[in-house]
Amino acid sequence: MTAALTYFEDVVVDNVQLTPAITVTEAHVAMYEGLTREMPLKSGDVPDVLALCMVIGLGWRVKDPPMVVQAFVGLDWKVMKELRVGDTMHSRSRIVSKRALRDGGLVVDERTLLDQHGEVVQQGKFTFLVAKRQKEASA
Amino acid sequence: MADSRRYFDEIELGEEYESPGRTVTEADIVMFAGLSGDYNVLHTDAEFMKGSIFGERIAHGLLCLAIQSGLFTRATAPYATLGFGGLRWKFKAPVKIGDTIRLKAKVVEKKDLDTHDRGLVTLDRTILNQHDEVVQQGQTDLIVQKRP
Repeated sequence: MTAALTYFEDVVVDNVQLTPAITVTEAHVAMYEGLTREMPLKSGDVPDVLALCMVIGLGWRVKDPPMVVQAFVGLDWKVMKELRVGDTMHSRSRIVSKRALRDGGLVVDERTLLDQHGEVVQQGKFTFLVAKRQKEASA
Repeated sequence: MADSRRYFDEIELGEEYESPGRTVTEADIVMFAGLSGDYNVLHTDAEFMKGSIFGERIAHGLLCLAIQSGLFTRATAPYATLGFGGLRWKFKAPVKIGDTIRLKAKVVEKKDLDTHDRGLVTLDRTILNQHDEVVQQGQTDLIVQKRP
């Protein structure tokens, strides 16, 4: 049996999911610096793009089966406040809309990054191309 | 020591920058999966991806977005950046293992902010691969300090 997956047909508009939380450490920032050569603006800051990258990872750690994402199409993103090393972040996902295409469909997923005080740190919309279920192969 | 950072007042509309290239490796993708927690099959399952429209694993879109953020710091003298305001971004083509990407950026808007010590600088950014194909494109907003 294959693992359960969420296809385009299964995506429910307005469905909300919360991820577990993760504490952002010096180790994350050091790895990110090594990978990208982007330094924090000041000591103890978490680079904003690093936090955005962790939103994507957390997004898979939810109870619903993973969406069959064929491509990440784009994003619109706002940074409201800075995240500091030692802060614990989690993310909330809300499906804003879905639109069928001939192959697959576009799903707009609003993501909100929250800190341990429940304050919004970053927020925006991701657009994914999601696969449709394979039709039964005709003979 | 002299402050070599460029303040809001000194950045001019229409300025253009181009970064050095950077080859995206399998190691980059594996590290990024570990760092972000994004282990999606697109980036981590070589066998599955043989049968996909891409034919092989592709780099995470956000990995290349993060790499261009670093490439920007190698493309021009540093701005006196106070923060990152946001971005509007499109992933246009896949980046595969071994591809070499570089950044082209242009200042397209400067805006005063309510607090008088800073302004918003909007840049058009394009990531190109070794064939000069656009792989990602968008706009970023940086909050930049004015000269004190």
